[in-house]
Amino acid sequence: MMRPSLISLRRPARQILFSSVSTIRAAAPVPTVATHRSLSTSTSTSTSTSTSTSTSTSTSTSTSTSTSTGPGSGCICANGSRRPQVQQTQKLQQQQRQHRNAYHSYDHPSSSAAFTPVEESILSAAYQHVPSHGFTPSALAAGARDAGYLDISPTILPEGAFALIRYHLVKQREELAARVSELFGGEGHVGARPGLSEWEIRGRVEAVTWERLSANAQVIGRWQEALAIMAQPSYVPLSLKELALLSDEILFLAGDSSVDPSWYTKRASLSTIYAAAELFMTNDHSPEFMDTRAFLNRRLREVSEVGGVFRNLREWVGFTATAGVNVLRSKGVKI
Amino acid sequence: MLRPATRPALAATRQVRQCAARFFSSPASPDTSSSHVHSPSTTPETNPAPPPPNSRSSTSSSKGKKPLTAEQRAFLSSALRVNQAGELAATLIYTGQTPPLVTRDPSLRPLMKHMYDQEAAHLRTFNNLIYRHRVRPTALYPLWSVMATGLGWGTAMLGKEAAMACTEAVETEIGGHYNAQIRKLLEMVSEWEAEGYEVGAEFRHLINTLRRIRDEELEHLDHAVEHDAQKAEPHWLLTGVIRAGCRGAIWVSERV
Repeated sequence: MMRPSLISLRRPARQILFSSVSTIRAAAPVPTVATHRSLSTSTSTSTSTSTSTSTSTSTSTSTSTSTSTGPGSGCICANGSRRPQVQQTQKLQQQQRQHRNAYHSYDHPSSSAAFTPVEESILSAAYQHVPSHGFTPSALAAGARDAGYLDISPTILPEGAFALIRYHLVKQREELAARVSELFGGEGHVGARPGLSEWEIRGRVEAVTWERLSANAQVIGRWQEALAIMAQPSYVPLSLKELALLSDEILFLAGDSSVDPSWYTKRASLSTIYAAAELFMTNDHSPEFMDTRAFLNRRLREVSEVGGVFRNLREWVGFTATAGVNVLRSKGVKI
Repeated sequence: MLRPATRPALAATRQVRQCAARFFSSPASPDTSSSHVHSPSTTPETNPAPPPPNSRSSTSSSKGKKPLTAEQRAFLSSALRVNQAGELAATLIYTGQTPPLVTRDPSLRPLMKHMYDQEAAHLRTFNNLIYRHRVRPTALYPLWSVMATGLGWGTAMLGKEAAMACTEAVETEIGGHYNAQIRKLLEMVSEWEAEGYEVGAEFRHLINTLRRIRDEELEHLDHAVEHDAQKAEPHWLLTGVIRAGCRGAIWVSERV
């Protein structure tokens, strides 16, 4: 049985609820607008609860690692308060918000990069050490050494190990476009195939999502720890933001051109499916992760079936209402 | 017979049209395209903006295209989001208004069809822009759909004059709104050109598209006024409420 055992979700769910409430309370003294907006504007409540519960299972199985990396991840205050960490996280949230769903220009590329040049050099060197050291401060120290800095240099990264995780997420998301254009035969980026049918788009979504999942192959052995770190209350908003950006990227690269409320529902369901598939993959030992691919296909098929049911229901209601109004008009009722 | 109080309002709406025509000098004909702006022979007469970069490149070194700042991107995405919501509401208002109006007065059918076709084309344009530029559509899409259909149907049930007054109110707000957006985009472009940067074709095309759409909306405003919009009985109440509602919807759609 390859599926990770989903033990009782009540305790982890209560933990997540409690920790998110305490995050909001802890963040209250510093400007609340940033935290509240980022929490309230995450993709959808169903996404946040389902990804929280899916990440909470790995939290409950590896609580020891999460607690050991929590306090050590970059808080350098003498009195041990979490305030600077929360402020830095909010600054990052603000940066993320600027990336998020804002106008994407083809002629005038955006000015903000996810990491400063120094951070980029340390993190890219540390990334090479992740398979051996995991997403830990020791990987960061090894990376700093390789990049020619002092071992203590990673303390400029206020979130420590989470910065390395975010580097992985951002790097894989940004490289997805190049990998996908190879996959789809090098056709242009935007509106290249505006006439894609529903079925073709579904196939492309599967291909692009699989492409992104297979990019985890190098670090999948260390990914359960990473999920545990991402599930920490101060990092949950950023992690959800990255998940939302990823599902937006996948759907755009797959050629989905919806601009009505299904924009939201598609991204929400894809975020949930991706998070579940990634979690499945951490415990998948089949050759080339074929079980994960089968899992992904099953979830995508379920979503399209359920989506079909709702679409039919909406069409039926719309048709019946219009037909009713037209019948009344034909009978002479002046509406 | 026009009441005295409505003459200033009528004059004001005419002024909006004339100001737009004078300062932004867009030809009313629909053949404006980005290539028109780049041709140096016609630009000095018709375009008050500085001459295009290809004529300046000999004097100042062109620095390429300046990256957009976060505020500019936020402005552009909220602008496109609001415009899409507005055109959606406009198409649904006309869809709601047409059956009751046309049953009472079949001669209105060509006018309603013409206005509806133009609004549907605007909606397609903005849908395409939102997809291309990866902008988030408004989350209150279903709410605006229901409210716009209700508004169209309700004003049509009140009568032809009320329906036309609704169109007049909506188009006045929309015309002013597009003017503000075009003004801001032209400011951005003139800043870039003053700093010696190039301006991409994407921006020129966006500005010309917004101008064309603004002109067509103001044309609808004129049609509505010609068809007795000013004769609606509590004209001040109808237009006041609808304009306030439009402003509120614009404010919300820019954010949500």
